[in-house]
Amino acid sequence: MNHRWRYFSIAAALMLVLAACTGTQTSSSASASASASGGGGEPTDGGTLVFGGARLSDSLDPALTSDGESFRILRQVYETLVDLAPGSTNELVGGLAETWEGEPDGTVYTFHLRAGVKFQDGTDLNADAVVANFERMANFSEEFQASAYYYGQVIGFGDDSVIESVEATDDMTVVFTLKQPNPTFLYGLVLPCFGIVSPAVLESTNADDFENTTLTTDPVPGGTGPFILESYTPDDNATLVRNDDYWGEKAHLDRLIIQPIADPAARLQALQGGSIQGFDLVNPSDYGAVTDGGFQLVERLSFNTLYLGLNPSARENAAAAERTYDPPYEGESPLKDLRVRQAIEKAIDKQALIPAFYGDRGSVATTFLPETSQWAESMAGAFTPNEFDPDGARQLLSDAGFDESNPATIHFWYPTEVTRPYMPDPAGLHQAITQMLEDVGFVVVPHSDIWDDPGYLFDGQNGMYDLHFLGWTGDWDDPGNWYGIHFAYDGDDPAVQFGCAVDGLKDALDTASGEAETTARGEAWAQVAKLIHDNVCFVTLVHGDTALAFAQNVHGYEANPTGSESFATVFMDAE
Amino acid sequence: MGKFILRRLLLLIPILLGLTLLVFLFIRALPGDPAAAILGERATPAGLERVREALGLNKPLHVQYWDYLSGILRFDLGRSFINHRDVADDFLQRFPATVELTLAALVFAIGLGIPLGMLTAKRRGTWIDSLGSVASLVGISIPIFFLGLMLKFIFAIQFPILPDSGRISLAEYDIPRVTNFMTIDTLLAGEWGGFVDALRHLVLPGIALGTIPLAIIMRITRASVIDVMNEDYVRTANAKGLAGRVVDNRHVLRNALLPVVTVIGLQLGLLLGGAILTETIFTWGGVGKWIYDAVINNDYQVIQSGVLVLALIFILVNLAVDVSYAFLNPRIRYS
Repeated sequence: MNHRWRYFSIAAALMLVLAACTGTQTSSSASASASASGGGGEPTDGGTLVFGGARLSDSLDPALTSDGESFRILRQVYETLVDLAPGSTNELVGGLAETWEGEPDGTVYTFHLRAGVKFQDGTDLNADAVVANFERMANFSEEFQASAYYYGQVIGFGDDSVIESVEATDDMTVVFTLKQPNPTFLYGLVLPCFGIVSPAVLESTNADDFENTTLTTDPVPGGTGPFILESYTPDDNATLVRNDDYWGEKAHLDRLIIQPIADPAARLQALQGGSIQGFDLVNPSDYGAVTDGGFQLVERLSFNTLYLGLNPSARENAAAAERTYDPPYEGESPLKDLRVRQAIEKAIDKQALIPAFYGDRGSVATTFLPETSQWAESMAGAFTPNEFDPDGARQLLSDAGFDESNPATIHFWYPTEVTRPYMPDPAGLHQAITQMLEDVGFVVVPHSDIWDDPGYLFDGQNGMYDLHFLGWTGDWDDPGNWYGIHFAYDGDDPAVQFGCAVDGLKDALDTASGEAETTARGEAWAQVAKLIHDNVCFVTLVHGDTALAFAQNVHGYEANPTGSESFATVFMDAE
Repeated sequence: MGKFILRRLLLLIPILLGLTLLVFLFIRALPGDPAAAILGERATPAGLERVREALGLNKPLHVQYWDYLSGILRFDLGRSFINHRDVADDFLQRFPATVELTLAALVFAIGLGIPLGMLTAKRRGTWIDSLGSVASLVGISIPIFFLGLMLKFIFAIQFPILPDSGRISLAEYDIPRVTNFMTIDTLLAGEWGGFVDALRHLVLPGIALGTIPLAIIMRITRASVIDVMNEDYVRTANAKGLAGRVVDNRHVLRNALLPVVTVIGLQLGLLLGGAILTETIFTWGGVGKWIYDAVINNDYQVIQSGVLVLALIFILVNLAVDVSYAFLNPRIRYS
């Protein structure tokens, strides 16, 4: 008996000893709260910041990345020719190019590179290096092209390329000649996937050999940025150290460690437990817990929009594709009647969604473009929005010939197994809007499908849903990246997702896309917005703000609606 | 014995071949499209087509299967669709984390499960036994995510005596990853403080993951010990005046251990397959989360190769358990 108790006691004692070994974990937590009142003040150098992201980078080759989590890490290491001013969505500032020349309605852009910039491997930045990077991307094999999403979007591969030539006219000057004016070209170059990599590193990592490249997987000193990627352990951490030879103002932190924590609740617990000192994408329902817990909430204004897609032709599209859903689509879609579509917009109290689902941080989406866009105002001024008006919605339904005995029945879809900054709780939002629609007399048939499944994204974008949730986070600040991408015609057919067959829309889109002069461009896109909103091809719902949380001893982080954020300015209170 | 092991190893070939076919077909029968997972809301019909072409998903199924199989025969597990990483490298990087977590869970489960099973068996019918039964029932029933979050909340946040997540305090220790076993790498780096820190990081996830095996081991031990205690040879040993401790250790426990070892072996095999919930809650970069993410992203290459390697490990662990029977019980002879 005694002997058995000895086993038990040893096991228990071992646990207690391990628990009692009060290591650094506890002390780091204590220091976070102890310095909470320390304030910002003069930046101090040194320290290690552990930051929780949702995951690490998909690839370490910047050209092959297209998502925010990858960009978060790689933009600290690789720099682009031009950049966005801190906090701005549209003010361009010099990056590796100190100055540049080129007008939105022109076809030639000349970039004058900064002198004295060195790659982290010690080689010099020069015009040949920039040309080598763009030539490399232009010549990507099919396998690479599949991942180089933004090169395809901004520049295009093969015959679709907007670039006529990229030339080094002298050691520090690069000239891009475009096939035709492209007013969004410069904004596209801001994306971290256009970060310039040392040609020597491109060669030593076999970066152009899909089977053998190590640039995608191994940390290399290939950038010019304020941090060097020192180590990268998938699903564990990415460790960046300060680049002491950085050409600009050097980073304050000694080390920046990004730790992947998929679950927002677990990220908050890690901050509370002291193992991280900051994290992104706070769950809106946790905003109170962050501030009440003595942490800082850093708000990032929205650059996204949740919308309700309406497709009057969905039932015909589904039948043509032989899709059968449960419950099945029956009869003619009531959405063919403009008054029904207007009734849907008038039935929805967009403002009520913000406290319920966005932690009271967000704004009503009158247009597709969020208020942080320089174009939002001109878009909003172009049309009269269908404000929340349940009685008006009932009247419109009645005018359209629908009543209790003959209700307007709509099939309303939402995605499962996904959250997005613009869509924190798809099922909850679906329930809330269903209630609003039913209140004015609609009969709503609920449907759901898995996000990544072709059933949702695929069928939704192929126009098989009467009503569906989807959203967009802007790549850059231009209406073409919002209205243009979504409503572009395929030949003479309107975008299949919305089936928005509106007289004059195709011409308006063509005019707006081809207009390079800024004022005229704004007016042309406002005309597009008017046609789309007047005809309720979709209902823009909410621009959802997002937020980061930091321990009180962390300062200097500047959020940007586009996510273009640098850790170089971040500093921590001295211990 | 040698023949037995050889036969079992040869049997691996048809089993693994069947498994490759099953997994290959199964993941393609499931709804989901890797191209849609990669492109997300930026997917357009043309974009999806381009990605499918690049990933080889437009080839006929039998060609895709042959590409996969011939890769395996060359010991090439392929590259992830999503991040282009070498699947074998990624597995070797994550598997040590899973092994460490598994060992921590089993140390907890065995260290407590066998003594508690013995205790409740010896005290059969008393309040201790009843308490043990209730506790083991709770242990089996409690959802891991709930237990994990509660453990973190209590021991890392309310009473911060243990770390809340991760494998080491990243802000304090910069440990070069040599073996990817954090406990070993800290020692290789000469960081004693880091070694203790790595052990401390194992406590909460180890308990969370080990609770169900603990309850199972405790129940099996109790039942098995009760069976053995009723055997004639135990009564004889007691009658001839052997000390209780000697009877327990030499006659009861050793004979009762066979079913317990079976259960431990099965648990070991299962745990080595990764623990998605525990790894997610405690930010533990093991194979469970890796395979889970691959399934979510329809990363066929990772799923089919990862599952194959894990199945191989499961089968080898079971073989090792079978072989260990012969050592525990000399009456067992394999031929």
